Amino acid sequence: MEFIDPNVVDLSRFQFALTALYHFMFVPLTLGLTFMLAAMETVYVVTGRQIYKDMAQFWGKLFGINFAIGVATGITMEFEFGTNWSMYSHFFGDMFGTPLAIEGLMAFFMESTFVGLMFFGWDRLSKQAHLAITYLVALGSNLSALWILIANAGMNMPEGAHFDPETMRMQFESFVNLVFNPDAQAKFVHTSVAGYVSAAMFVMGISAFYLLRGQHRQFAARSFRMAALFGIISTVAVITLGDVLGRLDYEKQPTKIAAIEGLWHTSKPPFEPWILAALPDDAKQENHFEVGVPLVLTPLITHTFDQPITGMHELEDAAGPRIRAGIEAVSALRRYGVTHSDADLTLFTQHEQDMGYGLLAARHAPNQDVTNIPEDQIDAVVKATQPDILPNVFVTFWSFRFMVFLSLWFFALFAISAYVSLKRRLEHNKLLLKLCMWSIPLPILATEFGWITAEAGRQPWTVFGWLPTFLSASSHGVSYMVFSLIGFVLLYSVFIAAELYLMFKFARLGPEHDSMEPHAQLHAPKPSAFDMHPTAP
Amino acid sequence: MTKLLRLAGLAVALVISLLFAVFVGDQGPWYFAWVIGTVMIILISGAGAIMLDAQSNLSSDEEI
Repeated sequence: MEFIDPNVVDLSRFQFALTALYHFMFVPLTLGLTFMLAAMETVYVVTGRQIYKDMAQFWGKLFGINFAIGVATGITMEFEFGTNWSMYSHFFGDMFGTPLAIEGLMAFFMESTFVGLMFFGWDRLSKQAHLAITYLVALGSNLSALWILIANAGMNMPEGAHFDPETMRMQFESFVNLVFNPDAQAKFVHTSVAGYVSAAMFVMGISAFYLLRGQHRQFAARSFRMAALFGIISTVAVITLGDVLGRLDYEKQPTKIAAIEGLWHTSKPPFEPWILAALPDDAKQENHFEVGVPLVLTPLITHTFDQPITGMHELEDAAGPRIRAGIEAVSALRRYGVTHSDADLTLFTQHEQDMGYGLLAARHAPNQDVTNIPEDQIDAVVKATQPDILPNVFVTFWSFRFMVFLSLWFFALFAISAYVSLKRRLEHNKLLLKLCMWSIPLPILATEFGWITAEAGRQPWTVFGWLPTFLSASSHGVSYMVFSLIGFVLLYSVFIAAELYLMFKFARLGPEHDSMEPHAQLHAPKPSAFDMHPTAP
Repeated sequence: MTKLLRLAGLAVALVISLLFAVFVGDQGPWYFAWVIGTVMIILISGAGAIMLDAQSNLSSDEEI
C-alpha cells in the first residue's frame, strides 16, 4: 500500500473542490435556462406572438455565453480524475467511467450538436422543428447532469458493484442498479431542479432590472411572470427532493446526516430540536452553543415521531468493531494475494464489507501497515481511527444551513413575486424588484453550498465505506500541485471575468426587438440570434 | 393517408409513453417525477404568460 504525502492529498482535494465549484457556477443556469427557453418558445409556437420569439432569442443569447464557459470549465475536471486521483480511478474506474463515458457520448454530444441548430436555425427551420431542437438541447444538458450524478451517487452509495479480490478493484455488476440507484435519482432531480431555480432567479432578476428602469416593459413583464411561476414550483420541488436526500442519508450515510445536524449524541425523539445555529467544534467534538426549534428534527429526518437519529459519538463507538474486522479483511486480502488459499479468501469474504474501515486504520498503524499490527497495539490503533470516520462537522453543518436558509428565501421571493405579477402590480413594488435583482447570484451560492454539503459530508471516503480519500490521490509532488492549482485559479478567474463582462454587457443592451405592443407581428426576416442591433430604449 | 400515418405515429408515441411510465415509474419513481414535473413547470409558466396577454386584452390600463 503506497502512502501519499498528506499535503498532496489536501492539495488534490482543494484543486478538485475549486474546479468543481468554478464549473458549478455555470451548470445550474444551463440546466434551467434551456427549459425556460423551451417554455418561452412553446408559447411562441402556440400563440404566434413575436414577443415570445424575442424572449427566446434574447435569453438564449445569455444562455449561449454561459454554456460556452460552462463547457470549458467542465472538460478539465474529467482529466483530473486520471491525473490527480489515479488510485481512485483504478479502484472505482469501472463504476465511475461508465456513466462518464455515456455522458460524453450521449448527452454532451446531443446538446452540443443541437445547440448550434438552436442558435442558427431560427430562420432556417420551421417553428415546430426549431422548438423540437430547443427541447433536445434542454434534454441533452439535463441528461449530462443525470450521468454525472449517477457517477457521483456511486461514490456516495456504491450500488451495482462488487469488490473483486483478484483484480483488487470494484467490478461492474449491474447497469440497472447503477442507473436506478436511489441516491442518483434523488440527487439528479434535486440538482436539476435547483438549476431551474437558478435560471428562474436569473430571468426574474434581469427582468426586474428592466422594470425598474422602465425599459422593455412588456418583454420584462412576460419574462418576469414566466420566471416567477417557473421558480415557485421549482423551489417546492427542490425542497421536497432535499427531504428525500436527507432521508436517504439517514439510512445509508449516518455520519453525513449526524454532521449535517450537528448531532454529537443520539437524538431523543420526539423532542430533539432542529438546530438553527451552532458552533460545532471538531477537535473537542461538541457544539459550543445551540439555538434550536424543538420537535422538528425527528419527523424532518426520520418521517416518524419515535425513531432516534444516531449521534456521532455513538457512530464512532459502532465503528470500532468494523475497524477491527476491516483490519482482518485487509490482512487476509494481502495474504490471499500471495497464497491464493481458500482459507484466506473465506476470511476476507467474511469481513469484506468492512475492508474500507481497515484501510482507514492504515494512518494509525505502525509503519502505516495494517497487516502487521502487534496484538497489544490493535486496541490503540482502533481507538485512534474511530474519530476519522466523521466528516468535518463545522463545514458540513454550516454549508447545509446556508443552502436551506437560501432556499427558504427563494420560496418566499418567488411566491410573493408570482402573486404580485398575477395581480399586475409589479411596477408598484420597487423594493420587490430590487430584491429580485440583488438575488440573482444567490441560487448559484445555494447550489455551491449544496455540493459542499454532499461532498464534505461524504468524507473521509471517496467511495463511501470502501476507499478512504487519503489513499485515493496520485503521488505527485507538492510543487506540481501548487503550480497546477495556481494555473487553474488564474485561468478560471479569467473565464468568470469574461462571463460576467459579457452577461452584463448583453443584459444591459436588452432584447434586439423591443415590441412595446405584445401583439405586433414582425414578419421581416431577421439575422441570427447572435447579431446585436440593440434599439434605443 | 397522411392523417392515418399521423394517427399511427401518435399511437406509437402513446404506447412508448405508457411503457416508459410503467417501467420508469416502477424502477425510478423520481426520474418519472422529474419528467412529469418538468412538463408541468413548463406548461404552468407558459400559461402564466398567456394569462398576462389575456389580462392585457381585457383591461385598458398599462399596468404590468
